[in-house]
Amino acid sequence: MHIKIYHRRKMLIVAAFIVGIGLVLMGRLAYLMIFRSAYYQSQADALHERERSIKAARGLIYDRNQRVLADNKSVCTISVIHNQIKEPEKVIRVLSEVLSLDEAKVRARVEKVSSIERIKANVDKTLGDKIREYKLDGVMVDEDYTRYYPYKTLASKVLGFTGGDNQGIIGLEVQYDAYLQGIEGTILTTTDARGIEVENTSEGRVEPIPGSDLYISLDYTIQSYVQQVAKRIMEQKEAKSVSVILMNPKNGEILAMTNEPEFNLNTPYLLPENAETDAIQDALNQMWRNGCLNDTYEPGSTFKIITSTAALESHAVSQNDRFYCPGYKIVDDRRIRCHKISGHGSESFVEGLMNSCNPVFIETGLRTGVQVMYQYFDRLGLMEKSGIDLPGEAGSIMHQIDNVGDVELATISFGQSFQITPIQMLRAVSAVINGGKLITPHLGVQIVDANGNMIRLHYNEKTHVIGSEVSDTMKTLLEKVVSEGTGKKSFIEGYRIGGKTATSQKLPRGSGKYIASFIGFAPADNPEIIGIVLIDEPTGAYYGGTVAAPVMREIFENVLPYYLGQWPDIESDSGDGNE
Amino acid sequence: MIRVTAMNRKRFVGDWAMLGTVFGLILFGLLMIYSASNYTARLHMGNAFYYVERQVFTVLLGTAAMLLMMKLDYHRLLKMALPLYGLSLFLLAAVFVVGTASHGQKRWIYIGSIGFQPSEFAKFVLIIFLASICGAAGSMMKKWKGILLVFLWMMPAAGMVMVTNLSTGIIIMGIAFIIIFTASRQWLPFFVLMGLGGGFMGVFLKLASYRVGRIEAWLNVETHPKGYQTRQSLYAIGSGGLFGRGYGKSIQKLAYIPEAHNDMIFSVICEEWGLLGAGIIAALFIFLIWRCLITANSASDIQGALLTMGVTAHLGLQMLINIAVVTNSIPNTGIPLPFISYGGTSLIFLMCEIGIVQNIAQQGKTYIS
Repeated sequence: MHIKIYHRRKMLIVAAFIVGIGLVLMGRLAYLMIFRSAYYQSQADALHERERSIKAARGLIYDRNQRVLADNKSVCTISVIHNQIKEPEKVIRVLSEVLSLDEAKVRARVEKVSSIERIKANVDKTLGDKIREYKLDGVMVDEDYTRYYPYKTLASKVLGFTGGDNQGIIGLEVQYDAYLQGIEGTILTTTDARGIEVENTSEGRVEPIPGSDLYISLDYTIQSYVQQVAKRIMEQKEAKSVSVILMNPKNGEILAMTNEPEFNLNTPYLLPENAETDAIQDALNQMWRNGCLNDTYEPGSTFKIITSTAALESHAVSQNDRFYCPGYKIVDDRRIRCHKISGHGSESFVEGLMNSCNPVFIETGLRTGVQVMYQYFDRLGLMEKSGIDLPGEAGSIMHQIDNVGDVELATISFGQSFQITPIQMLRAVSAVINGGKLITPHLGVQIVDANGNMIRLHYNEKTHVIGSEVSDTMKTLLEKVVSEGTGKKSFIEGYRIGGKTATSQKLPRGSGKYIASFIGFAPADNPEIIGIVLIDEPTGAYYGGTVAAPVMREIFENVLPYYLGQWPDIESDSGDGNE
Repeated sequence: MIRVTAMNRKRFVGDWAMLGTVFGLILFGLLMIYSASNYTARLHMGNAFYYVERQVFTVLLGTAAMLLMMKLDYHRLLKMALPLYGLSLFLLAAVFVVGTASHGQKRWIYIGSIGFQPSEFAKFVLIIFLASICGAAGSMMKKWKGILLVFLWMMPAAGMVMVTNLSTGIIIMGIAFIIIFTASRQWLPFFVLMGLGGGFMGVFLKLASYRVGRIEAWLNVETHPKGYQTRQSLYAIGSGGLFGRGYGKSIQKLAYIPEAHNDMIFSVICEEWGLLGAGIIAALFIFLIWRCLITANSASDIQGALLTMGVTAHLGLQMLINIAVVTNSIPNTGIPLPFISYGGTSLIFLMCEIGIVQNIAQQGKTYIS
């Protein structure tokens, strides 16, 4: 049979049909390969590329003299890739020898069929280099950084430490984490569907950006000395803890801050031997707690500085006003005792401050009135957090102003019935003695990034919170407290020291637990340094004047020549007084 | 049109352009099978050339079979149509009994280590069988009854294939449809059949739930778990862009695309050669179809023309379905790309069919316009 015209027509239709659909499909292909190309390419890349991150070196923390307080140490992670190992026996022998590991353990890891097996982490770099020299196939030596604190316990609660992911856990490491961390880099490698890296494919590498360095105002020399003294006192007095803060009252730069017992920053999870082990996290938190700002206390008689300032500036009292102390004062129906049971008798306001006489201050407070008192608390920053650049600062616990009756006002006047933190207290007194400037206590001074760009850190300052005359008066009065009053034991010949003692009862009252404290500054006429010493639950003598003032004296004696750069005005063999 | 004399006919031994294109595709296929499979072959078989070596063997076998078909007068083949059809039915039935499953479906008969797919043989035989009976039916093909009868004749084979392998069944139906459509003067029955076929497909898909899952995977290729293979194929195609990554540089073949040397090889071609390379391959297929159309037109009789159209339908439909699958234009189904994909039975019978077409071309009349 022959081929008819309709056959030819139909054959043409069939061919045209196939070619037509073929062209449509080519159109679809062109769409996929031109317009969707970028999308699918990125999807494919995301699938093929494995990102291995490269840790960024964490920024260092320097003290005010460029001494490194928080450093990085190179360590290595040793791992094996099972299917790349060519000489398993040699690998096992070398790894177990160099890393001094049990051979059976290494063997188990080497012979385990897995994509990658970690042998040991945090290996010293020298050992890592040694392993690298063997050039063993299938053995990977990855370099890494780990945080290292060369001075171990030095300012541990201030500096803080970091966790495994290079993140700050406490202290400055948390506060400045964003600057210190840097940006992780990545290595891009192409892998097959099983995740195995394919050789000879181009490796994209994004370099990590190291973290910025933090320069703080802390002085290594002062800090280590202060810490040493605090530790010794804590042991001598069998105290629960001893806190010391030294600060420049003019700008708020903290020179030293300790809250003994400190802990070793290189082993931050190692609890002291006597710690309770049933609540490990609580015990750790307790160990890491910085009492200088994380805890509040009743300031006691040091607070009379604040009461005096408010009273003098509001002219509620004048320096020469006379008072009489029979050993107590009755407010409403309460009889509030003076620490001197026999009473101080007749005394001027100045003498009242020097004697730290409670009845004088009750009278002063009542005369000043709650409105004015609270106004000054507000001005002196006692109603707000100090703003220190450390995490977890506690706030003050004050009476609501409407709830303050005469009894409350009376107790507030000599520093009881409310709580503030030591750093708030130090800040308020700084404003009193620096001419009326409310500073922000701080440690961070500047941040320098990897390219050397510097950021100076700025802190809030409020000027004229009190007038300069009252400030001058207070300096004079507080110098008298040291030279002639309760603060005698912090007197250093040749230096002009101002200060105030305090003995705070710990709650509940009558528990027999005290905080002995002292706030001191020098030189008294133009303070360059202010310090607070708190001895928490000393055994034996617990008066601030007896226990805390000598500590401040000892610290000042040694720190002032170094810090002020001048020796005492007169020749004296200061240092071993007989008190 | 001028008829070429018998003397000229003797000198004309076949369609060289068609042969050249076919071998071009086969050689390119070998290159691509090596590229697509060397990584996984080394990984799983320990020999990067594992699949290429086997395919070279298949090509040699296929070439011998093709040469045989070129020498064999296709009229003798047409006379053997009925026994061949019987054999094919027997093998298709046998696969249910002694078949070996691959990818969950019994489709293979193994004799020793050599596998054989009866469904591929059925395609080959049905082309001959249908060309034979349609040619013989003559004026019967004008009638509805004749058309239906021919369809009924092929249904046992098509039905058995469809049970285990829907897509091959559809291709067989498509080939049959094209042969019968070409043989008949009628138009209407074919539109009706197309409508019925579409309806039948719809019902089948609704009933076979695993295929509906496949349709969901097709519609949600980016997210559906069953869309993995097609998704990988799209990544490969998209990664190719205009000019491709270059030969051997596909990344998707690194076990991302399962058995990249098989049904999905076109996506590796796209990734390595870009739109340009894929376009050239498509152009070669279109050229091949054009050469087939010329051979069909110049065939010495209607049987020759129908045989040629059957072969055209076979490679044309497979090519279309394969490309449609890798571009996610239709739901995923495993159809190899003619001459290029790795696979023995399919390639050998395709080469046999080319041999038959060559024989038809040798016997046919050429046209000089």
